[in-house]
Amino acid sequence: MNIVVFIKQVPDTNDVKWTPNNNIDRTKTDSIINPVDKEALEAALRLKETYNANITAITMGPSKAVEVLQEAIAMGCDNAALLCDSKFAGSDTLATSKVLAASIKEKFPDTDLIITGQSAIDGETAQTGLAVAVRLNIPFVAHVNEVIEINTNKIIVNAETETYKTVYELNMPALICINNYVFKPRLPRIDGYMKAQKYNYPAYNLYELNLGECETGIKGSPTYVSKVYRTDEKRECKFIEDLNKLARIIKEN
Amino acid sequence: MEPNGILIYGELNEEQEIKTVVYELLTKARELKEKIWNQAIRVCIIGPRINYEEIINKLGSYGADDVIIVSDNRLKEYNHNYHPEIFTQIAQKFPPRMILIGATLQGKEIASYTAVKLETGLTADCTDLDIGENNLLLSTRPTFGGQLTADILCSTFPQMATIQENIFKAHSIENHSVNAIYNWIDIDKIDKRINIIKSIKKIINKHDIQNSKILVSGGAGACQNNGFALIYQLAQKLKAQVCGSREAREKGFITKAQQVGQTGKIVSPDIYIAIGISGANQHLTGIKNSGKIIAVNKDKNAPIFNYSDIGIVGDLFEILPELIRSLDNIEEENDQ
Repeated sequence: MNIVVFIKQVPDTNDVKWTPNNNIDRTKTDSIINPVDKEALEAALRLKETYNANITAITMGPSKAVEVLQEAIAMGCDNAALLCDSKFAGSDTLATSKVLAASIKEKFPDTDLIITGQSAIDGETAQTGLAVAVRLNIPFVAHVNEVIEINTNKIIVNAETETYKTVYELNMPALICINNYVFKPRLPRIDGYMKAQKYNYPAYNLYELNLGECETGIKGSPTYVSKVYRTDEKRECKFIEDLNKLARIIKEN
Repeated sequence: MEPNGILIYGELNEEQEIKTVVYELLTKARELKEKIWNQAIRVCIIGPRINYEEIINKLGSYGADDVIIVSDNRLKEYNHNYHPEIFTQIAQKFPPRMILIGATLQGKEIASYTAVKLETGLTADCTDLDIGENNLLLSTRPTFGGQLTADILCSTFPQMATIQENIFKAHSIENHSVNAIYNWIDIDKIDKRINIIKSIKKIINKHDIQNSKILVSGGAGACQNNGFALIYQLAQKLKAQVCGSREAREKGFITKAQQVGQTGKIVSPDIYIAIGISGANQHLTGIKNSGKIIAVNKDKNAPIFNYSDIGIVGDLFEILPELIRSLDNIEEENDQ
């Protein structure tokens, strides 16, 4: 069985450095693997053991994004691929999903299962995974907590949302988005690091993915940012020490 | 056909009533409609065969010009195969300029599906909507973990946005006429590739944090040394609900349903008491509609104080027990 995991390199939003003009200082802000994507890798690696699966990690990004692929190989993935082209830069969800779907169609057509994380910490749109499935015309389910069973035709998963626990059966090939905080990612082993160092990371550009110049990046993205500003909802804070006073304020409300 | 109108997804709850977010979106759509010329507001309902008259009239009283209904008894519950495809087909039959959908679980799924099928842009989890340059929909959303706010435009039609529940206030209007349009879609032609084997409804706390007057909320600071036990005590004293930050959720002190913030819930209590919460922007996004914000934090430079009305600097393990005692004293005084 062939499993593809889509992962993303994101800026560490918990530790953002700012320029004096209130812009994000990208040179000083660290890049990390999107945390739930690491859990997606873990979910795939657990299937590797049970189903003798071949796991490929794929990311779209600049050449620096190879770092997250190194991490994936070190964790135990069999293969990795970088989707890299200056014409991919500035892609929104719609354009990104086009590139990711093209990588499956053109380079990994015999994929049985695609796993993604539920959302990325930088954009948090939670759309890209589903959009890839719609483009590939395959069934998908989000919020997956557990893969119960896979056979050549079907996959059975347990999904959990705020209100429901649901067992789904999907025709294969399929795409699943997994929930955060469920699949605790394993730590890479020494031999994993060694493999990650030696591994020759293939990179595919626009032409190799059979995409047109207007389909990706800024040109292929209908949404665009007209303005970005540092979030500010400041209030006038009155500091008090007397807790009896605080108790009265709360009670009077 | 020239795209016209604002199409809203009329999500039904399990009792087959329209969800509140739909009325919130209708209220906002009326405001948008005033700024762009000659646009109809349409609501699309996908549900079972029931009498929709009352629903249609109520949607009308919130400003819907047309209510498009696709009904079939196979649509009694949300169906992953049918609902997204049916909504897409409606958006093709009545090409709108804009599509607004509540950012609920099913709303998000329908929005993603429709956007790809129609090859158009979608802005998710918006916190405000307006009309921008060239009469385009201007969607505002927090990004970068909430540290930045972005105004986003879309160059293709329809322009799509999903909006969190409880962001806009719903107001009805008087004397607004509404048309019902019953539409038939061949459901048998839709591929059925996703089956539900079984589904269990979780027992949910009926005191939803979004309907709570007072919220006591814990962050990273309360995750140590059983701080949440004090938070629960204080909440009980105030007949309040407990909620928390993303860190509290990550550490397992609260459930997803109790998480406040851009990726959790947007709350609007009269009083929000933030305990041991430093004030990451993604959390602040969720609380900015609160009446009074009270923050307890031992770091006087914590960003939360910039966004609070009342600040108490100190150790929550000293402050909360004393506050609970003070509340007890007030109760005793009132009893006498």
